[in-house]
Amino acid sequence: MIVSPVILLLVGAVIGAAALGYVFRRAGRWLLLGLPLGAVAGGFGAILFVAPLGYCTFETEREQLDAIFGFLLVAAGIALVVLPISWVAGRLLRHESLVSTTSQPTQGTFKHWWIALPLLVPTLTILALFLYYPSAETLRLSTMLSRLGARREVSVCVDNFTRLVEDPEYLDIIGRTLYMSFFIVVLSMGLSLLIATMAYLPLRGASIYRILLVWPYAMSPAVAGIIFLLMFNPSGGMVNYLSGNWFGIKLGWLNDPKVAPWTIILASVWKSMGFNILFYIAGLQNVPKDLIEAGAIDGAGVVRRFWHIVWPLLSPTTFFLIVTNVTYAFFETYATIDYLTPGGGPLQSTTTMMYRVIQLGVYNNDMGKAAAQSIVLFMMVIGLTLVLFRTGGRQVTYGV
Amino acid sequence: MSSVSPTTIHGQAGVASRNRPLRTRLPKRWYAHLILIGACLLSGIPLFYALLVSTQTNAEVFRYQFTPGSGLLENWDVVFYERHLHTYMINSVIMTLGITIIKTIFSLLSGLAFVYFRFPGKWIVFGFVLITLMMPTEVLIIALFRFINDLEWQNTFLALIVPFTASATGTFLFRQHFASIPPELSEAAQLDGANPLQFLFRVLVPMSWNTIGALAVVQTIYAWNMYLWPNMIISDPSMQTIQVGIGTLRLGGGSLRFGPLMLAAVIVSLPPVIVFILLQKQFMSGFTLTRDK
Amino acid sequence: MKKIVLVSVVLVMMLALAVPLASTGAQDEPIQIDVWISFQDYRLDWAQDVAAEFNELYPQYQVNVTGGYSYETMFAQVAVAAEQGQLPAIVHYFEAATQDARDSGLFKSISEAIGDRTEINGLPIDFSDYVAPVVAYYTADGEFTSMPWNTSSAIMFSNMNYLRAAGFEEPPATWDEVEAVCEAVMALDDAPEYCFTFPNHGWFFEQWLAQQDALFVNNDNGRSDRATEVAFNSEAGVAILEWLDDLYNKGYLYYSGAQGGESWSTVDQAYSTQQVAMAVYSSSDTTLYTQMGEEGGFETVASFYPYNDDTGWTGNLIGGATLWLVDGLEPEVEEGALTFLLYFTNTEWAADWHKVTGYIAIRNSSNELLEEEGYFEENPNQTVAAAQLDQSTLTPATSGALVGGFPSIRNEVTAAIDRVLLTDEDPAAVLNAAAEASNVIIEEYNLLNAP
Repeated sequence: MIVSPVILLLVGAVIGAAALGYVFRRAGRWLLLGLPLGAVAGGFGAILFVAPLGYCTFETEREQLDAIFGFLLVAAGIALVVLPISWVAGRLLRHESLVSTTSQPTQGTFKHWWIALPLLVPTLTILALFLYYPSAETLRLSTMLSRLGARREVSVCVDNFTRLVEDPEYLDIIGRTLYMSFFIVVLSMGLSLLIATMAYLPLRGASIYRILLVWPYAMSPAVAGIIFLLMFNPSGGMVNYLSGNWFGIKLGWLNDPKVAPWTIILASVWKSMGFNILFYIAGLQNVPKDLIEAGAIDGAGVVRRFWHIVWPLLSPTTFFLIVTNVTYAFFETYATIDYLTPGGGPLQSTTTMMYRVIQLGVYNNDMGKAAAQSIVLFMMVIGLTLVLFRTGGRQVTYGV
Repeated sequence: MSSVSPTTIHGQAGVASRNRPLRTRLPKRWYAHLILIGACLLSGIPLFYALLVSTQTNAEVFRYQFTPGSGLLENWDVVFYERHLHTYMINSVIMTLGITIIKTIFSLLSGLAFVYFRFPGKWIVFGFVLITLMMPTEVLIIALFRFINDLEWQNTFLALIVPFTASATGTFLFRQHFASIPPELSEAAQLDGANPLQFLFRVLVPMSWNTIGALAVVQTIYAWNMYLWPNMIISDPSMQTIQVGIGTLRLGGGSLRFGPLMLAAVIVSLPPVIVFILLQKQFMSGFTLTRDK
Repeated sequence: MKKIVLVSVVLVMMLALAVPLASTGAQDEPIQIDVWISFQDYRLDWAQDVAAEFNELYPQYQVNVTGGYSYETMFAQVAVAAEQGQLPAIVHYFEAATQDARDSGLFKSISEAIGDRTEINGLPIDFSDYVAPVVAYYTADGEFTSMPWNTSSAIMFSNMNYLRAAGFEEPPATWDEVEAVCEAVMALDDAPEYCFTFPNHGWFFEQWLAQQDALFVNNDNGRSDRATEVAFNSEAGVAILEWLDDLYNKGYLYYSGAQGGESWSTVDQAYSTQQVAMAVYSSSDTTLYTQMGEEGGFETVASFYPYNDDTGWTGNLIGGATLWLVDGLEPEVEEGALTFLLYFTNTEWAADWHKVTGYIAIRNSSNELLEEEGYFEENPNQTVAAAQLDQSTLTPATSGALVGGFPSIRNEVTAAIDRVLLTDEDPAAVLNAAAEASNVIIEEYNLLNAP
């Protein structure tokens, strides 16, 4: 052992005590309660992840990378336990309400508060069984070497994670996922905004335009893949036939590693634009007409008016759409990829992180590595969501 | 605000624009029409071509014939008699209805609990539900897959429906909506001696059709279009759902036959597209996004 | 409204519960025998037709044939079903799953189940009637572990319209000849877009390796002892990649970018649309490829799988799949399953199966039958695979590899081929990297599964 569990516990306790002590001191009360509470929380946090692993990351015969990873786990554990407790304690001490997302009616509530329990039981049970439990199980699996139907399961400590750091292919996959997601989100939303600003204008036949524009939302990512397979496949696809005839160009839409991701991007943009157009039209309708007219009287040009008046007012819509589009690009594109470039494309050029997880976990029956990659994916999604919420989420009441 | 329908706005705007001088009106419309027609074409051509191909034999597809072909009947035969697409469709209908209906009811119940009850530890329960917004099923799908296998639910509707019957989204949607309903209503109902469930179904539900409709549209499309999960958990073709089942048309029998595949793709897309277009208004008014509270 | 909602919920719940119950519901008779086949196309239809005839002949049994999506997914499906104890009576497993199937302890050896009986339910048992390469691959210690059914080999199909126009009357037999033919074909005025293609499925690499008498894994291809390391990153393996890369760089080779089980249909399409002049493929679809020519107005000639001039030809592997008998069945179910297996692969059906698909007729008696009918004379393409296997010299290399986690290893191989074709990286280095990754797979597999 490089570090003994006792030291970890102590370090955690000190950090926890310091953090909660600070919170309690600022509130000016109960410092003597804060210190021990913080110490317990910090100590618990420190060993939260490493104790179930049997402190294996700190064994002397393991690599340095494992030890570093172990310390990261300790830090993450402390943060995960101490931060929420500090936040809650701080709010409680300042007598602030804990949930402040929407106003709660104070009148009209029913007596017999316990009736709420059976009303909540179905939702809570399902969430606990099919979201929380699998999350915990994902954590456990990520430290195992596990195959369905095998005779045994072997613990591999944090190898499933540390091997990823050394795997250039996996780093490529992360880059590719971000790259494809970025273009799907930006292209789809940019074009949708342009089209929505036109479709929102008082035009003859506007409602017909609208229906013709938004229906692709209801198409499935799988069907998007199938239809694009028809048009873009290199043996007899219409697109290559036409582009060959007209411009003498034939592209390897599905078998050229440089082009294939773009076929996925195109199909995904095509499928997701309907949804974005719909919400942008709705968002534009919420922009007060008098504001725009006032801008027009001031002599502001169309672009200026849009940029200074409409765009800021659209930001809740934009934020909401970014969140849903990022989710779409990360997860829902799976079906499109699976139909267009089954297996993940030439040179794995269309293999996203999600696609990789399924390839590993289901088709290679390598559940441990797949679970570890799921967690990396999870962290990325959480990270992105947090960044988005910090930058633009505050104005929006709720998301879908 | 939540019930302003698109048509009214357009009616008003249309009147306004008619009063404007011709010079400022024409060029604006000209650009808009051009861009919109272009956009409609771009989004419509893939489907239109798929429709064409669904009537063609492979030979006609590879001849790049841009008129309806002679293979519709044969393709129909392949889709329904050889590949039994209707089995998949029935499975998908059951799964979609199951998820949509149960999820809506569960969400109504939990929305009711969050708005009309004050109970100890409410914020913890609320946090418990809130956090799941950040937990997409996809990232824990490997463990869920194992868990469902442990439950021996593989190849059953239970596996397809139950894990998706609770939703933070639905709960919050109804919570939001109920919170906007004047509390006097619930006070009046309580004075009349209505219990919470009676209040829910007699008072709240009739006032919430737009929200219910919006959630139903989203869930119907979501469930109908589900691909990854059925693909993993269902291995018995007689239990398979449509988005995966359609893939069987891609397999075997030699060269991929595009006609039947496209016919199936078009047929599969019709239900959600029709539901969506019909309920578009409810969909939008149920999901009003406002910049302030 | 409330009522409608309630009624629908109840209905859905009932349906959800009723369907799984109905499928597992007990029935007195006949005895139910479930069979999982890895096909979903006309081959499944064929199997279901045969099962229907069997059910009529033997009313005491009810054989239910269910199709899966592909070999690879069947493999995953069985792993799941095994975990739950929901296995059918008979499972259709491809050759690459042989080691996993033997390790799993889920299956009962056919020889063991039959014992020393010479007939079951009036159906004769005669293991000497099976053709030699099949016996070689699927027997361990001289015993049949599973029942052979669909057996193929890799062969080449040529579009003779292109070849004749380029001045060749015969399909090429070696790598250099393929290149020479391609040079001429691509110089034609109405040249196809490409000249040659192959499905990037690990099996084709294995075929070229076996031809050069090179091993895929150590310990005599896993036949003298459990395989612990791959051996495919030898000179022979590198030669394959270099040859393919050369064809690709010259613009002769069409590569669809699809790998593994997904690659088959892309090759079908390229060949049937005459995008290429030659394609190597599984003999399983000989009937279909011949038809493609007839429908597309060109002549298809099947020939031996082209080999490396430098190393010569030792022999080719078999491919396809066998039927595995699940262990621990009720005695009467096992009896019924054995009866069905014998019926399903009898002389007449084996001959019919060959005609419908192109899989080789696995029984000597079937081949005699087809010969008598004059079928082979009329359909020379159908004889190629059997002849190729017949002329093969049996060595550890040409017997095929037995190794755990084989399907995952194949993915490493196809990814390596993909990389070599699409980048400028050194074939030897790429293959070594694939070997390293494969060794990890084997190591982990043996750690978890070895008895």
